[in-house]
Amino acid sequence: MGGASVVGRTTVTVQVNGQERRLELDSRVTLLDMLREHLELTGTKKGCDQGACGACTVLLDGRRVVSCLTLAAQCDGREVTTIEGLAPGGELHPLQEAFIRHDGFQCGFCTAGQIMSAVALLAEERAGSDAEIREFMSGNLCRCGAYPNIVAAIREIAQQGGGMP
Amino acid sequence: MTAPSPNKIVGEPVDRIDGQLKVTGGAHYPSDVGYPDMAHAVLVQSTIASGTIRAIDTADALAAPGVFAVITHENVPELVHEVMTPFGPSPRFPLKDNRIVHHGQHVAVVVAETLEEARAASRLVRVEYDETAAILDIDDPRAQVTTNPYEMDVERGDVEKALASADIVYDERFHTAPVTNNPLGPFAAVARWDDGRLLIHSSTQWPVMERHVLAGIFSLDESAVQVLVPYLGGGFGAGLRTWPHTVLTALAARILDRPVKLVVPRPQMFTSVGHRPETVQHLRIGATSDGRLVAIDHEGTSTTGAEESNLEPITVVTREAYDCPNLATHDRLVALNIPNPGAMRAPGHAEGSFALESAMDELSHRLGIDPLELRLRNFAEVNPQTRLPWSSNALRECYRVGAERFGWHHRNAEPGSLRDGEWLIGHGMAAVSYSWWATPCRATLSLGRDGGARLRAAATDIGTGTYTIAAQIVAELLGLEVDQVHVEIGDSALPLAPPSGGSGLAVAFGGAIEDAAAHLVRAFLDLVRDDDRSPLRGRDPDEVIATNGRLQLSDDPGVGESYTAILERHGKDELSAEGETDPTPKAEGMTMSPAGAFAAQFAEVRVHEELGLLKVTRLVAAVDAGRVLNEKTARSQVAGGMVMAIGMTQFEETAFDPATGRITNATFGDYLIPVSADIPDLDVVFVGEPDRYNPMGIKGIGEVGITCAPAAIANAVYHATGKRIRSLPITIEELL
Ligand code: FES
Ligand code: FES
Repeated sequence: MGGASVVGRTTVTVQVNGQERRLELDSRVTLLDMLREHLELTGTKKGCDQGACGACTVLLDGRRVVSCLTLAAQCDGREVTTIEGLAPGGELHPLQEAFIRHDGFQCGFCTAGQIMSAVALLAEERAGSDAEIREFMSGNLCRCGAYPNIVAAIREIAQQGGGMP
Repeated sequence: MTAPSPNKIVGEPVDRIDGQLKVTGGAHYPSDVGYPDMAHAVLVQSTIASGTIRAIDTADALAAPGVFAVITHENVPELVHEVMTPFGPSPRFPLKDNRIVHHGQHVAVVVAETLEEARAASRLVRVEYDETAAILDIDDPRAQVTTNPYEMDVERGDVEKALASADIVYDERFHTAPVTNNPLGPFAAVARWDDGRLLIHSSTQWPVMERHVLAGIFSLDESAVQVLVPYLGGGFGAGLRTWPHTVLTALAARILDRPVKLVVPRPQMFTSVGHRPETVQHLRIGATSDGRLVAIDHEGTSTTGAEESNLEPITVVTREAYDCPNLATHDRLVALNIPNPGAMRAPGHAEGSFALESAMDELSHRLGIDPLELRLRNFAEVNPQTRLPWSSNALRECYRVGAERFGWHHRNAEPGSLRDGEWLIGHGMAAVSYSWWATPCRATLSLGRDGGARLRAAATDIGTGTYTIAAQIVAELLGLEVDQVHVEIGDSALPLAPPSGGSGLAVAFGGAIEDAAAHLVRAFLDLVRDDDRSPLRGRDPDEVIATNGRLQLSDDPGVGESYTAILERHGKDELSAEGETDPTPKAEGMTMSPAGAFAAQFAEVRVHEELGLLKVTRLVAAVDAGRVLNEKTARSQVAGGMVMAIGMTQFEETAFDPATGRITNATFGDYLIPVSADIPDLDVVFVGEPDRYNPMGIKGIGEVGITCAPAAIANAVYHATGKRIRSLPITIEELL
């Protein structure tokens, strides 16, 4: 077998956007690759695969995580919410609407991560001021430079009471 | 031509029509594409910068689980290596022989059933090298230098004579670090072959050029290649060339006879898809004591890869900037053992204008003239190179409005005069004229029985807003609602279009849409020419306006009918028309100088006296963008350029190890791009009139945002601290 090592398989059962999914995976598969390559949920993006850009942000049991640094195996028995799960039934989440209104993106590649991060930010009650929003959204890179518009979108929803349905 | 449109849709701050897809994760980027049966490819890159491969051992990789193939220079099939493009020959094909010309050169592609397997096997490829001395320093006397590489050098008047008689001569050198585009979306290619035809989903800003290059490399007819890119996760110029990873993906798919996907991992994005090269510049300016420029000599040197070409015209920005009778600009290109640079937002201009506009500031301080006033005294009423009148020029307005919004005239001009506790505060400004570049464009426009229009062209939307502005133009010209317009772009099989690049797509695409809309209205009128039942029978386009989904007489709005009524009566599902435009300025017979965008930017910075920390606290841009197509997306685009400028000025530097040529900071952890906390509110204001050169009055604005901010910030740093920094990025060490 040359230098290749035997690779383990793992079985995970995970709630993704409210649906129970059971998968048998290569144990090296990250949560991000599980979503993108195995569940065809490609809304969550891979910008760096190194935990440094935030494009892959999803909610794991309601908290934001970078899914590229989370192994799928760690998610067994847990709940994952992705951008596709934010608007069940087609009605947009207030933050999604605000991002459109304030032009909080250009290419859109960072957008899923920005929005998931912002959802968590509101839940964490860390959107009290522009400075706070800027600080706690700084794990989400936007190379298109949509930051001022992203801040404006989050500010608007935070002022309306956090976008809780 | 139809009569002027009564509809007010162009210019409005319409929400992006692709917004819903982007906020729901429904927009599909090349890296999102998958096919059943698709294999995954991973690149292996060289660990030396110069030399040859003595041996490459792929046995272990081939034996690893899931591996289908390992492609190296030893088993690569014969391909055509050089295909000509407007940016020079296609990039050097890395597997063409056993030579290594830069660190991080692709030496093998490993293809396996899954990504994890391909990645694991890629680590098992063993390469032995015979290393030779690499040339890595821009000043290395052994490096090959090309003078006047783009044949864009200009000379007017007698610079040396004018410098000799000037009251004051400014003579300084500048340096800008190499920086990397780093679009957030990693570049990707997904290729499949069916009956000798190549279909490729690819991160490109120019689908028809990618088709041309791939067809050339694989010896195919262009009609046998289709390039798809409905969405792109940014490009900033990186997508203007067909890079080797794209060729290798197509090749792997052909060899395996199954779809293959390759996503360039972030560290390899630094070595695989270009970067803004390092520059050194030398500026000499002669002026009279009352601030009239009498001579400018600007020399700019940038780096390119060994055996490569790159278009980085650094000094072009200078020749049209000011009314100066004696001027010489010279570019030089130095070949090093580095990954090939490429276009990055305002290639050449961003670096060149940093030097020129820093120099103007410095000169103004030496002369004791306000920096804005110095610029006004040398304002170019006509294009100073061609002496032709500008097709439009609201730069004076940019100065006036920008200064007003910023509060420029209230500042104390003395460096170091403003402070807030331990923070020194500074104000600086800079300006630019940014010309656009475009190629011919076509578009097909049709209108169907449901009353909706369909626009098709091989243009791209890389975040620039193309989808939305195109829909707005169609809606305005045909008298429809924006949501009645369906825009299909991002496919090389659609009518030819220029790239998202050179700030030229909106100009070209706008012109093609305008032409198509005029033809379509004519087609409707032709259809009812002899139609007794039509109130528009026998009418000419110039008597008619399009509004509310119908055509009607401009002087008698009650007389007219809807598109759908015409189509129904004539038993047609739709009518279609082609449009085309060639915006390229002609070599002869021009009566005006086609102007690009103009801008003035004003920066406020704070520098911590003891810690050397630098913060940009305010940035105001007043931009003459001609006719703004969408106030919202236009503002975003300019602001995005300003953010990237803050990166270039404060943080970004692609660090090459001087001994090995390895990029030592090729991750987002180490290569710092601006984050939200680094960016103040950005004030973008548009001034000016529709341009006279193109029918829609458009100017491109993709790059103007990045061009004067670096100098404005550096000038503000000088005003705050008295320290003149002539090198980017501005580091803490320099401010301590
Ligand atoms: S892809 Fe996970 S942080 Fe960048
Ligand atoms: S919108 Fe392009 S990276 Fe944020």
